[in-house]
Amino acid sequence: MNTLSVVFNAEFVRRIRSRAFLAGTLIGAASIVLIAMLPALLGGMMSSSGKKIVLVGDPAITSTASTLLKRDFTITATLPKLDQTPSAAFLDAHGKAAAVAILKRGSNGLHVTAYARDPSSFRDAFATDLAPIQIALATGAPVQRVAAHSTVPVDVHDISGRFANAGAADAAKGIAYLFVMLLYLSILLNAQSIMTSVAEEKTSRIAELLVATLDPAQLLAAKILAAAATGFIQLGVWVAAGMLSGRAVTGLFARGDAAAASASAPLFGTLSVSSGEILAFLAFFVVGFAQYGVMYAAAASLINRTEDLGSVAGPLVVPVVVGIVLAQIGLQFPNSPNVVVCSFIPLISPFVMFTRIAVSDVPAWQVVLSLAINVATAVLLAYLSGKVYRVGLLLYGRPPSIKQIVATLRA
Amino acid sequence: MGTLVLSNVARSFGDVVAVRDVSFSVPAGSTFGLLGPNGAGKTTTMRMILGILIPDSGSVTWNGAPVDLHVRRRFGYLPEERGLYGKLKVREQIAYFGRLHGVMPPDDVARADAWIERLGLQQYAERPCAELSKGNQQKVQVACAALHDPELLVLDEPFSGLDPVNAETLLEALRELKAAGTSLILSSHQMWQIEDLCESFCVIAGGTVRARGTLRELRADWPTRIVEVEPVAASLRGVLDATPGAKPLAEADRPALAYELPADADTAELLRRLVAAGDVTRFERVDPSLRDIYLRAIGAAA
Repeated sequence: MNTLSVVFNAEFVRRIRSRAFLAGTLIGAASIVLIAMLPALLGGMMSSSGKKIVLVGDPAITSTASTLLKRDFTITATLPKLDQTPSAAFLDAHGKAAAVAILKRGSNGLHVTAYARDPSSFRDAFATDLAPIQIALATGAPVQRVAAHSTVPVDVHDISGRFANAGAADAAKGIAYLFVMLLYLSILLNAQSIMTSVAEEKTSRIAELLVATLDPAQLLAAKILAAAATGFIQLGVWVAAGMLSGRAVTGLFARGDAAAASASAPLFGTLSVSSGEILAFLAFFVVGFAQYGVMYAAAASLINRTEDLGSVAGPLVVPVVVGIVLAQIGLQFPNSPNVVVCSFIPLISPFVMFTRIAVSDVPAWQVVLSLAINVATAVLLAYLSGKVYRVGLLLYGRPPSIKQIVATLRA
Repeated sequence: MGTLVLSNVARSFGDVVAVRDVSFSVPAGSTFGLLGPNGAGKTTTMRMILGILIPDSGSVTWNGAPVDLHVRRRFGYLPEERGLYGKLKVREQIAYFGRLHGVMPPDDVARADAWIERLGLQQYAERPCAELSKGNQQKVQVACAALHDPELLVLDEPFSGLDPVNAETLLEALRELKAAGTSLILSSHQMWQIEDLCESFCVIAGGTVRARGTLRELRADWPTRIVEVEPVAASLRGVLDATPGAKPLAEADRPALAYELPADADTAELLRRLVAAGDVTRFERVDPSLRDIYLRAIGAAA
């Protein structure tokens, strides 16, 4: 067993046993399950209570309207007229409805006045569902005929042939979003755990003992590898939590709760994650983590007190945040020139390029070039960070100035 | 086992010269005391021996070859600023540092247990180091430094913070290591503790060597000698006053005539003259202590 593996083993065991790792992994998994299940749960709640309505108006209109509205709503009562402005008590008394819709025919056709617990939820749905009545009144055509032709069937095909239909492309965006967030969390949490570990060794003066026995580069490498290993485990748990949640959501389809399941469909509807996507995810995790890990380690080696960690870590979060924001844009416009350029810029490209790969057909040469740039940057950063780390570990007293750090890098 | 040789090593930090032109050697199996006031350059010298710092000039060799990482793993180090993983349990901590120096399982734990017993830490073996007192943490650190039976053990102020009982326990452990053939380099302000243990010394001040050698050699270089004579009698005082170069000193804790003489004074001839002048119940030539030598070297530096 060489020294590298001794340090790796010790670091790995320390990390796995740490409360931060256990808490981070469990909270992360719980969050993923929640993100996956929440739309379904909310959808279910909406379908059970949020979509109950009362119809008021001439029975000739309400009978036709109720047929059209049943697609989206449950009609709890149909009344010919109201004696007073409806209140919450009125809604409670009529099957705990969420809204009351008063339908009147005027000189300009049908007019709807609604009183709702949540006014923002009904306007568009009423307008869309009742449009055939308005068209029928204007044209004299039968309502059923207008309703039958009110929707234009549209088939959108992916020109690259990657996605079978628009739904599959939407699902891919949901999955890409989830994976980018996992990438972000995993890179940041593990890079910060390296920073904490280096800071502990620096501030408790263990570093001096370690440097007497080990090459600092070896020490840094062992730390990075151990954090990467725990990062993989954490990612595995998170992905497993996501897949299981996805299956649970898919199970809702089987039980016939399509409304609830479809609410989660954009995230987990098809769960069609290709092996190429998984490989790209792992590759960009490795190169992204390597870049941030060494920078955080170097930054931590410069501090004298753990209280100073925030001040050195702050600037390093900026490129991560920029990467995440650009990844969000990349989800919508994966092939816009700006996004394509950003997918080659080190530090942010792990997020942007992965997003592009997940939602579009990226030419292989672009993926290879992006990875090559990131690997080269990781090597360069490891070299420079190693120099700072080697000097910083034994540097006590006043924090070094920028000028001193630059001098160290030039040495 | 090997011989450590420092030849004209120098090291600066920016404009501050920490060590300039320091040379000494530590023969295999010997014990070497590195003395000097705070900021003298002792820790920098030790760090250069251990490869933590690279000398700006000069060389550090072990058996004639540069001290590389492979050699350093056979060294042990107790730094002045103690450092332990606070959350790691005592046994795990000691075993881990053993593994770093090549002591692999199951020997690492077996040896850790032996050191835990030797230093009286049994009741703390399963406790995190952060929960231990400063003195006990220091003993853990000594075990971390010595678990692998190092060929050279460098101890920077090993006795600071230890009570007399624990200091004696540590001294005993160091004697055992010495008996087993480990070379020791110690720095300490408690000179009485290392005076018995060390065979040779080096006094550093202002980054340079002020005195160097065995205690016998250092004493031989001392320019004066002190003689104490009893009883305090006028006839005897007259003889001493008449001795060329003799200077009376203040009386010590018991009544005696104490005089400082030139190092080359003939004390046998002086004794004969004293006996001829009156009854002499005690005549003692007092050698300078390590503390005297140290203070003089430091004073010369000032």
